[in-house]
Amino acid sequence: MDYDPISVALKFGFLAVLYFFLLWIARSALKDLRGTIAPAPDATGFHAAPYGEPVGATESWLVAEHGGGLTEGKRFDLIGGLSIGRSGEADVQIEDRYASGLHARIFSRDGRTYVEDMDSTNGTLVNDAKLRGEVELIDGDVVRIGDTSFRYEAGG
Amino acid sequence: MISARNRELAALIPVALLLTAGFAAVFAQENTRLGDLSLVYGAYFLAVCLAAHIYLRIRLPDADPYLFPLVALLTAFGLVMIYRIDADLARDQANWFVLGLVLFALTIHFLRDYDVLERYRYTIAAVGLLLLLAPRLPGIGQQVNGAYLGVELGPLAFQPAEFSKICIVVFLASYLREHREVLIVGARRVLGVTLPPLKHLGPLLVVWGASMFMLVFIRDLGSSLMFFAAFLALLYVATGRFSFVVIGMAMFLLGAWFFSSTVPHVHDRIEVWLDPYSDPTESGYQVLQSIFAQADGGLFGKGFGQALVTIPGSNDALLPAAQTDTIYALIVNELGLFGACGVVLIYLLITARGFKIALLAADGFSKLLATGLTAVFAIQAFVIIGGVTRVIPLTGVTLPFISYGGSSIVANFVLLALLLLISDRARREAGSSGRLGEPAMGGS
Repeated sequence: MDYDPISVALKFGFLAVLYFFLLWIARSALKDLRGTIAPAPDATGFHAAPYGEPVGATESWLVAEHGGGLTEGKRFDLIGGLSIGRSGEADVQIEDRYASGLHARIFSRDGRTYVEDMDSTNGTLVNDAKLRGEVELIDGDVVRIGDTSFRYEAGG
Repeated sequence: MISARNRELAALIPVALLLTAGFAAVFAQENTRLGDLSLVYGAYFLAVCLAAHIYLRIRLPDADPYLFPLVALLTAFGLVMIYRIDADLARDQANWFVLGLVLFALTIHFLRDYDVLERYRYTIAAVGLLLLLAPRLPGIGQQVNGAYLGVELGPLAFQPAEFSKICIVVFLASYLREHREVLIVGARRVLGVTLPPLKHLGPLLVVWGASMFMLVFIRDLGSSLMFFAAFLALLYVATGRFSFVVIGMAMFLLGAWFFSSTVPHVHDRIEVWLDPYSDPTESGYQVLQSIFAQADGGLFGKGFGQALVTIPGSNDALLPAAQTDTIYALIVNELGLFGACGVVLIYLLITARGFKIALLAADGFSKLLATGLTAVFAIQAFVIIGGVTRVIPLTGVTLPFISYGGSSIVANFVLLALLLLISDRARREAGSSGRLGEPAMGGS
């Protein structure tokens, strides 16, 4: 078998270009992966709020505990209220077949936070008790909708 | 910062260069002189890719920039290798490449709002199953090497399993999206193993039954394995329960073991895999020749156009089915271990990009669909590469985008179109909410 120099050069050239190309794509792919890591909740601006502000309405959170297609520990701030449901209109969209389109809402009034069931089909549970109308939330309360549960965290 | 589409454009240039180099090397070997024909082919290839790129620029500006160049690279590999076996086959393959891109464009055009797939899931599932059964229907079915793989409708001959895999994945993604919660919540622990609720075990058993059915009636071990593994991957992603995967694998192995001892065709394939040396000139010939060809390649291979495909002085195949089943062995023979790793790396990178799309996608259906499509693609590559390297029994599954075959190319371009559709929406949404790291990583 003769070793034609052109043929040998082309073979090694081909392999070299192939590997450089793959290396370039792999590098970009790696950077891309790092890019998806969500910033820690502490990194958001709300924690920089000065002391002495009225608590409750400003520094309270709804934390995803389980189910609903949400990442465990994901935090939603409650400033301006929040609606939870299966439809895209809800502020917190959950994937739960027992949830209604707009299932429940959380709002604040006079510095206190309340949860209200929006006439959902399957109801809302607060600390495993069926919610009728609205009820005030206290730090550590667990709100359950279908198979999805959230924990309420009052700031302070 | 380079935009996604400009990255894609930049990546297509080395791909066209590689195709040109490949053709040049093959010509140099055949004619012992270098004409400008390889440049012409390279230019044609680049023009076709650019047309697809411009279409993507208009329709899916935010879609993943690397998937299309990687797939184009696989196609380039296929064209060079098939040309090297037979110029006429390569012409067919080039036509199918263009036809595949046309269907790719049509898919993107008509399924822009791919959520409609979810609405027609039972129709899609029925079409998928019908396609699987078609090769056994009298009049249109064809038997190849003991397996029922092809369908002939007048002048049109195709392999329905290639299209069926997309239908089945769409159905499973949509079904599991709706039922995943029930599968998790209803699960109970029995003897330390988490079992899915009995009531919801039904669909799982149906999928298992379908893949066993394929094993017996279609006698297609490769497709059967491919479908079931993709299903397990989806089930794992949807429920997060590893025990379901273990149970599924145990069920598959049990079924495969039972049928391999009762269905002669499947039995033969397994026998050949376990001991090809017992019948080296007949049933074990293909497996053995493909292993010898790979070993012969060494580290850097013998060079383009240097491998022996037919026995010198005759038309008998030295490497049987070199353009389809054993094309991977041919690549290893000509480009060596490094070339082989390169090909496997291309598949790995495509898979990584596919799972990345699933990670970015916002809604459950998109996530599961991207996962399923990527899984079925990756497993298909594994099943044939594993077969040729004798990790698993050799089956007639095609090597995606490289193997000679119209159905395979066209169906995989439809699969790619769906992935890019999901990617476009996911990246646009992620980009607007600042979840994507892209803007911060400019300058590379």
